[in-house]
Amino acid sequence: MFENILNAVAAGLIIGCLYGLMCIGLGLIFGIMKVVNFAQGEFLMLGMYISVYLVAGFAALGIFGPLVGPFVAAILAGPVLFAGGALLHRFLISHVSGLSTAARLDQGGYGQLIVTLGISLILQNGGLILFGSTPKSVLTPLSARAFILGPFPGNALLFLNQARVYACGVAIVVAVVLWLVMERTTLGKALRAAADNPVAATYMGIDVDRAYRIAFGLGAAITAIAGGLMATYLTFTPFVGLDYVIIMYSGVVLGGMGSILGAFWGGLTVGFVQQVSALILPPQLQNAAIFVVFLLIVGLRPEGLFGRSAERA
Amino acid sequence: MLEIRDLSVLYGGLRALQGVSLAVAAGQFVTVVGPNGAGKTTLFKAISGVVAAAGGTIAWDGAPLLTRPAAARAHLGIAHVPEGRQVFRTLTVRENLELGAYPGAGRAAFARTLERVHALFPILAERAGQLAGTLSGGEQQMLAIGRGLAAAPRLLMLDEPSMGLAPAVTETIFAAIAQVHKEDGLAILLVEQRVAEALELSDHGYVLETGRVVLDGPYQTLLADDRVRRSYLGLGES
Repeated sequence: MFENILNAVAAGLIIGCLYGLMCIGLGLIFGIMKVVNFAQGEFLMLGMYISVYLVAGFAALGIFGPLVGPFVAAILAGPVLFAGGALLHRFLISHVSGLSTAARLDQGGYGQLIVTLGISLILQNGGLILFGSTPKSVLTPLSARAFILGPFPGNALLFLNQARVYACGVAIVVAVVLWLVMERTTLGKALRAAADNPVAATYMGIDVDRAYRIAFGLGAAITAIAGGLMATYLTFTPFVGLDYVIIMYSGVVLGGMGSILGAFWGGLTVGFVQQVSALILPPQLQNAAIFVVFLLIVGLRPEGLFGRSAERA
Repeated sequence: MLEIRDLSVLYGGLRALQGVSLAVAAGQFVTVVGPNGAGKTTLFKAISGVVAAAGGTIAWDGAPLLTRPAAARAHLGIAHVPEGRQVFRTLTVRENLELGAYPGAGRAAFARTLERVHALFPILAERAGQLAGTLSGGEQQMLAIGRGLAAAPRLLMLDEPSMGLAPAVTETIFAAIAQVHKEDGLAILLVEQRVAEALELSDHGYVLETGRVVLDGPYQTLLADDRVRRSYLGLGES
């Protein structure tokens, strides 16, 4: 029993870090632009497929090898989705968000729902045409290897899937780099200013529309990197995004909207609950466990686990 | 430096400004007074570019300003301290000032302007690491002005800096505005409800009513005008 708990907790923390990174991507878009993006799950899916094809390409070229290649591919999915996300914002999202819609009654909210839902459907079905419906995964020998730690008390052994451990390490590094960019650089401060008060940001000379475009691109890129990393240990189809978009939203809301650290902890919490609940619940109910914990936390702390409340009483 | 001719702005079908002309020369202190809803804030927003002009021209250093995008205008040396302060509440005091210095001129001079801002409002140095949303109203106003100064602008536009503040705080703020005007030769365009104090500081004043300039002149002329004395200063006819 102890062995099971130990392994579930470890798996929860490792998967949680990947969910954390995935949630940061959505958190950027939701937190900075206040756009409800239904297509975020498809950005994850695209990250996975880009990884698959890049790994195949690396193998054909004989570079990076099967151990490092998948992680290079996951990272490279970032810039691809950054460009894609920025273009999507330029030609579609900017028409239903940002300063141009501030005067509308719903601030472009209805338009956003329809547009992002439409993008989501197009990407799912486009993915089906392009990638086919056969489940795929990134092939790396790491996913069949484990680090074995222990024995712990009671002769318990801890098995850590190597693909997951390395993916988790890369996810943490990417999250820390992004956090540093947001906290320390002029770009990061400009993005946060545009999130906080877009009109005042304009008075400072910040091009808010451009800031939103960068935020949308970054949000897509970060989730795609998470997707590429997750592709090393799971199989997926073009509809994989559906499973994860809900997890992403619960993570982001749990963490408190608008904070990168919060989104990460929120994702970590969700991943942890999902894995640990496997000890007592059948797999079909794992996502239900997420929502029970979600309701509990939101009921007790409506501002989220790490929500900043800067309002003066 | 700033030259507005016949500016009109439509706001939801209503004429918020009609044929407003106004000028600010380099180093000049100009005040706009008028009742609520006269269009003072709209005038500022039109200069900053967040509200579109329906007619007329604005020239900055002789070049047309209305064709420049809003975000480009801060980089030309126009700093806008908006009504209601509008500080970045979820960012620290220090980060707010850094964002004020977003335009190139501000970035280059940041060390010096930061020292200047801290000398004007020492409380901002004390609270550097605090979130701006946790400051009191007066401190937020100081931060908003400091943020404007951090841009190292050539024109500082202040929209009702005394709004909702205690008299003692208002005094500090007016003193600081007078100081940067006199010592740094910074041009000021001020919108105020506290007409007596505002006009006293200024070289030139405009009275705006229902979107039109009804009176303008040097402050002695305005202070002597019966309409101004009655409507804004609460004084009888002289």
